[in-house]
Amino acid sequence: MMHLAKRVIKQTLNDKRSVMMILVAPLLILTLVYFLLGDSNYKPTVGIEKGALPEPLVTALNDQHITVKELSAADMDEPKDYLKNHEAVDAIFSMNGTSVAITLFESSTKGAKAMTEIQNALADVNPAAKLDISYVYGDSDQTLFDSLGYVFLALFSFFLIFIISGMALVRERSGGTLERLLMTPIKRSEVILGYTLGYSVFAIAQAILIVLYSVYVLDLSSAGHIGWIFVTMLLLAIVAVSFGAMISVFARSELQVVQLIPFTIIPQVFFSGLIPLDLIPYHLGNLCYIMPIFYGAAAIKGIMVYGDGFADIWPYLAGLLGFLAVLFIINMQAMKKFRRL
Amino acid sequence: MIIVKNLHKSFGKHAVIQGISMNIPSSEICCLLGPSGSGKTTLLRLMIGAIAADKGSVQFDDVTMPNLALLHDIGFMPQNDALYDDLSAEDNLRFFGGLQQMKKAQLKTRITDVLALVELTAHRKKHVRDFSGGMKKRLSLAASILHSPKVLFLDEPTVGIDPVLKRSIWNQFQELKRAGTTIIVSTHVMDEVTECDKAALLYNGRLIAYDTVQTLLASTKSGKVEELFIMANEQEGAAL
Repeated sequence: MMHLAKRVIKQTLNDKRSVMMILVAPLLILTLVYFLLGDSNYKPTVGIEKGALPEPLVTALNDQHITVKELSAADMDEPKDYLKNHEAVDAIFSMNGTSVAITLFESSTKGAKAMTEIQNALADVNPAAKLDISYVYGDSDQTLFDSLGYVFLALFSFFLIFIISGMALVRERSGGTLERLLMTPIKRSEVILGYTLGYSVFAIAQAILIVLYSVYVLDLSSAGHIGWIFVTMLLLAIVAVSFGAMISVFARSELQVVQLIPFTIIPQVFFSGLIPLDLIPYHLGNLCYIMPIFYGAAAIKGIMVYGDGFADIWPYLAGLLGFLAVLFIINMQAMKKFRRL
Repeated sequence: MIIVKNLHKSFGKHAVIQGISMNIPSSEICCLLGPSGSGKTTLLRLMIGAIAADKGSVQFDDVTMPNLALLHDIGFMPQNDALYDDLSAEDNLRFFGGLQQMKKAQLKTRITDVLALVELTAHRKKHVRDFSGGMKKRLSLAASILHSPKVLFLDEPTVGIDPVLKRSIWNQFQELKRAGTTIIVSTHVMDEVTECDKAALLYNGRLIAYDTVQTLLASTKSGKVEELFIMANEQEGAAL
């Protein structure tokens, strides 16, 4: 078993692309996600009719993080046409007596931001309408990256290790080395454990790198102890190795591993926490229980967002251990295809 | 002695091996000869226990295959090179030797010996991805004999190899035989039969002849083993 683990480590280290994929790619993607989901400091442009709004409201609008553009009465007659022809304007705001109308170019985060700023301005002139919003976890200043960053930690620890190990195992079969190594007195269980152990070394390195980079460089806040994040990511990555081993039994080439990704990985992304599971209709959210990434992402969310410790996350860790046990049995049976003993 | 008793194997409805029985004496070279698709590789894989037979058995002396402990005594060289490109020649051998539970000192000596035998000593630190096809073949042979197996199974070891290297590889097989190794080699190259002591002629999954090479060649008019396959083909045509 140790010979196999050592070989996996040495072989992976000799393949610079695999090392880059395990250690550099997640940092690169995380940085990209940080900028994509972080606070862009975008300043929306809101059109208002010149002289039509009460002066205090215009002042309040100007005090917000928006650019106020004064439009003529003719432009205000057909606000949709105006927005179609002036894409730089995100929203048109008008008042008719006490009723308020907002026309947006499209349903987007830019429009939503314009609407929030208009609501803030309205609340400034009418303090009674101001909403006092508070959060049990997090605050209003949190960016989308702060809220969803944990999902990416789970996704990376699973996906990249799955790809590397799944591909390596298929290559082992197609290259004939699996048959050759099974013609030695190694036991089937030792083959599976050797592989798992070898890739676990990279899973540990990846987990440490991703967590430290997210927390200390990208400033992703964690309410709980980051040690538990390491543990969860490591366990999830070990499940990924076993999952990769199982998928490799059904794939004859590396291309076929890629062809199986839409069936095996992409559905798991939707159940990782990106979308609240209770919003999914027909109780389809319950499908999360058959997806390993859900357990990892839920545990990491618990640690980072709710400050959970072992007492709270153990059911998720137990779920991952359950997957490991089931996949180990499946892989042991599947390996019988290549050697009976 | 390897005793093959009434082996049968089908893949789906296709019967690949149909009732093969033969005894292979120790310290001899026995070739499994036949055209592509005759069942050579399947028979080889059934003999080493890589796949399960539908019927019949294979015994190594008194032990029935598959047997995990017996794999210490078996060397296997698959048809493709079956080496790790990202590792050096030495690391490949160290890995396969490790799986055979060889002691560190013994492994070190044997790696030096087998690399010398296949004339790759100068390339021991080189990655296999930088090897030529012939070098890979030789390293693959080195990996299969590293643990000094009593029985060596070779699946088409000389396919795609130039005549000079082919000669050198057959010389190495003869050397191993003299050292007491039993060698079972599959090949579709009819000329290679003269290198062997015994030959098993396979045709459409059946054993059409099994005897010493001298006896088999003496039974033909032309003195060429191809004649036996042509006769088998004609008999099959007549039966249909």
